[in-house]
Amino acid sequence: MHIVVCAKQIPDPETPPSAFKIDAANNKVIPAQGIAPVLSQFDGIAAEAALRIKEANAGSKVTVISMGAESAQAAIKQVLAMGADEGVLLNDPAFEDGDSHTTATVLAAAIKKLGDVDAVFCGRQAADWDMGQVGLLIAEDLGWPAAIIAKGVTTGGAGLQVTRVLENGFESLEAPLPAVVTVSNEFGEPRYPKLPQIMAAAKKTVTNWKIADLGLDAGAVGKAGSRLKLERLFIPEKGGKVELMEGDTPQAQAAALVARLKAEKIL
Amino acid sequence: MLQPTNVPERPQRHVGGWWGPAVGVSALGFYAAVTAEGTPGREIGFNADHPWAVYAFMAALVGLMGYGFVRHAGLWMVGRPTPGLLREIPHRLRNAARLGLAQDKVRRDRYAGIMHWCIFSSIVVLTIVTAQVAIEADFPLKFLHGPYYLFFSFYGDLFGVIGLIGVGMALYRRYFSDFHRIRWDERVEDHLIILGLGLVLLTGFLLESARILVTELDQHPDWAPWSFASYALALGLDVFDFSEGQILWLHTWTWWVHITMAFGWLGLIVFTRLDHLFFAPVNAFFLRTDSPGRLAKIEDIEQQEVFGVGYIQDFTWKQLFELDACVRCGRCSEVCPANIAGQPLSPMHLIQDLKGHLANVGPAIQRHQHETGEIGREVSSVALVGDVIKDETLWACRTCGACVQECPVMIEHVPTIVDMRRFLVMNEARIPATAQAALENLEMRGHPWRGTALERTTWMEGLGDVPIFDGSQEYLYWVGCSGSLVERNLPITTAVFRLLREAGTSFGVLGQEETCNGDPARRLGNEYLYQILAQQLIETFKAKNVQKVITNCPHCFNTFKNEYPQFDGHFEVLHHTEFLAGALQNGKLVAKHTVATNVTYHDSCYLGRLNGVYDAPRQIISMVHGANLTEMQRNLSKGLCCGAGGGNMWQEEVGERRVNHVRAEEAVRTGAESVISNCPFCIQMFEDGVPAVHPEEEGRMKPFDVAELLEQAVFGPGAR
Repeated sequence: MHIVVCAKQIPDPETPPSAFKIDAANNKVIPAQGIAPVLSQFDGIAAEAALRIKEANAGSKVTVISMGAESAQAAIKQVLAMGADEGVLLNDPAFEDGDSHTTATVLAAAIKKLGDVDAVFCGRQAADWDMGQVGLLIAEDLGWPAAIIAKGVTTGGAGLQVTRVLENGFESLEAPLPAVVTVSNEFGEPRYPKLPQIMAAAKKTVTNWKIADLGLDAGAVGKAGSRLKLERLFIPEKGGKVELMEGDTPQAQAAALVARLKAEKIL
Repeated sequence: MLQPTNVPERPQRHVGGWWGPAVGVSALGFYAAVTAEGTPGREIGFNADHPWAVYAFMAALVGLMGYGFVRHAGLWMVGRPTPGLLREIPHRLRNAARLGLAQDKVRRDRYAGIMHWCIFSSIVVLTIVTAQVAIEADFPLKFLHGPYYLFFSFYGDLFGVIGLIGVGMALYRRYFSDFHRIRWDERVEDHLIILGLGLVLLTGFLLESARILVTELDQHPDWAPWSFASYALALGLDVFDFSEGQILWLHTWTWWVHITMAFGWLGLIVFTRLDHLFFAPVNAFFLRTDSPGRLAKIEDIEQQEVFGVGYIQDFTWKQLFELDACVRCGRCSEVCPANIAGQPLSPMHLIQDLKGHLANVGPAIQRHQHETGEIGREVSSVALVGDVIKDETLWACRTCGACVQECPVMIEHVPTIVDMRRFLVMNEARIPATAQAALENLEMRGHPWRGTALERTTWMEGLGDVPIFDGSQEYLYWVGCSGSLVERNLPITTAVFRLLREAGTSFGVLGQEETCNGDPARRLGNEYLYQILAQQLIETFKAKNVQKVITNCPHCFNTFKNEYPQFDGHFEVLHHTEFLAGALQNGKLVAKHTVATNVTYHDSCYLGRLNGVYDAPRQIISMVHGANLTEMQRNLSKGLCCGAGGGNMWQEEVGERRVNHVRAEEAVRTGAESVISNCPFCIQMFEDGVPAVHPEEEGRMKPFDVAELLEQAVFGPGAR
């Protein structure tokens, strides 16, 4: 069984609020100084789900692919250290500033190029923009069935047995292969890499594919292919105003407070 | 300078124990003997027709001991080589004398110290007495006559009586008191040892009194009283009017019983914990000569096959040797914070479990290594880590060093535990979830405080100009992750900062450029991550020309001071309490305001026990007018950990109680208004622990750092 895990590197969600800055003119997040980007937590969980299936099915293979900057190598290495076999980085200026749709286009092209893929595991959503669409859109592009927000995935039956998290309970599904699954945090924590595997991962070479390797049209990806337009990016302003009620006695202050609340039509 | 209000227990430093009085009494005896008249003496081997039996027993004993040594040594040698054991020989010899022979650590329990000295000195002196008899009997040298004979009789009896006193104390403790720790792992041999020794001594006296009855009581009434105890016994026997034949019969039989039991008892050395007679002084010689706060570096970590110790043969042979020194006295477990709180770690049982495992699998490993020359990790199917020693046992350790401090045979439990943790974390990746989160955070964010909303510069707000270290200042003030990223510790950081500025210190901080020095990673067993973080920071320090460092946190202090030299990072390191105590003494800081308050003081393990800084914080407290210090029952080197050490700051505790609740209870019991400490972890543990044991908010004790107290005294109460 060959599973592809899609992993995204994102700005650290634990960046202290005071260090989180945006470039309002260009609608972009300014990377916080000295705070390294991290693997999106849900993608780590997707990797854990894939690795458990790999361990339960001899002869299986896990490939991790990431679309992003050169720095996304670190995210790929992290999943390799957890136990994935191969890593592919999709890094091309043409891919930048796209939306969920163009991202899925690029990832699906890479999965097609890999060829013998039986399943694709994604995190339920990227922990930076929280769109939660890429997994479904990959399935759409590939023409595969998709099960999203899974809390359990095992092999069995026609292919995969998936337990989905619903608003008011759980749903058990059986999916034929190939299929796409997006994994939720209810699945559990990703494993801590063993040092021998960290060292083995450090020695592995990550394959680099550009737009030409995937045979994609530059107009279909990145900003050019994007159907979603970001209007304005801003940090919401929080504020408070204090007004002290005047009055010589507590009774007078209370009366002033009531009058004021009535004026605001709160009482 | 003011002294602390009540003088707490100090680590014992005097050497020699009770040899002084014993030698004194003997000297008096010697003086009396040489002034005695006549040429006293006795027939050696009186009434004993079978002196050959003594030599036969002795040969058997020597053979047995040889066998025992070979058997033990074979097991030790399955371990790895132990580097550096022959370095610093003079220091090691001093340790062997001070800790092995003078038994400084045994005396940390006063009752046991007296008891043990009585038994030990008695065995030593009576062995010398017996050796003299042998020399007199079978060598041309003749000296057991005249005044020396009388003196010889005297001290022989004296130390026999001392031995019986020791045995009596041991019997009382084992059978007639509710003393627990020696019964936590009681075995048949424990009864044999103590009852056997008592009988050997008693039969010795009986034997001598029988001889006195026949040869001295009437013939030499002025010699007999020198053997005062046997003489008294002889007088007692004389009452019964036995015939000489009966006495001689008694003498013969007593001789056989005495000699058989004496050698039998010595034979116990080979098979029981009595072997500590040899192993304890040797283990004292092997005891580390560097700081107990330092963990061993894994050299060439990237080239290792296995990380940490997951197989018994991956311990060094010194670590295996010291398993044999254990006497199951329970002192380690008695002071272990985890054990006290009913958590799944008892250092004594851990050592005994390792010893048992070595005995089980050692011989097979030994054969395998001998035949193939390979380390043979596959020989045993029983997992050392997981089966023999449970994961939760290893995680419960606070690395506080209390067990190592108390161990009378100088076993070093903490490095052994951390070695197994290293295996658990690096090799197996079996880590409690919260500890894993801390480690991941260290990797990703360079600090262990997941989810903090603070930045490393947040504490600087409102303090005016905070100098950034650029190499021109004398000191680097190292704030640390806890000092900058944990809300509660910010006031401590600012207090130290203001005091440093007030004292006119030339210093700067690193601000955003601080990253964790790696201590939590090392304590949690991730040596690889530790080495990466440490090397990075040492490079930063060197690039910025850091020479002297003042730290907020005793853990940072210990790491810089004791562990960075392993990576060629040599800095002069002070904990803030040391620096501030110095500034008070040389007048750079003046505690001019009175802070009327009753306080108690908690020694953090990494400043106190592991680095010996007990006085500086107490000096500061004593120099604050109005501050009245009441010590907790456990203090100084016997202080109890707050519960956070060894990476337990980032773990959920498993067990009956939480360690910080136990310690908070002890602090609250002093009746003080605040508990003063010196460590951000301790403060956090008390912040959490005190309300748990003292639910009413009114009159609840408050935890403060020494620096916070001093800040009030220097700038005025409530001054900020």
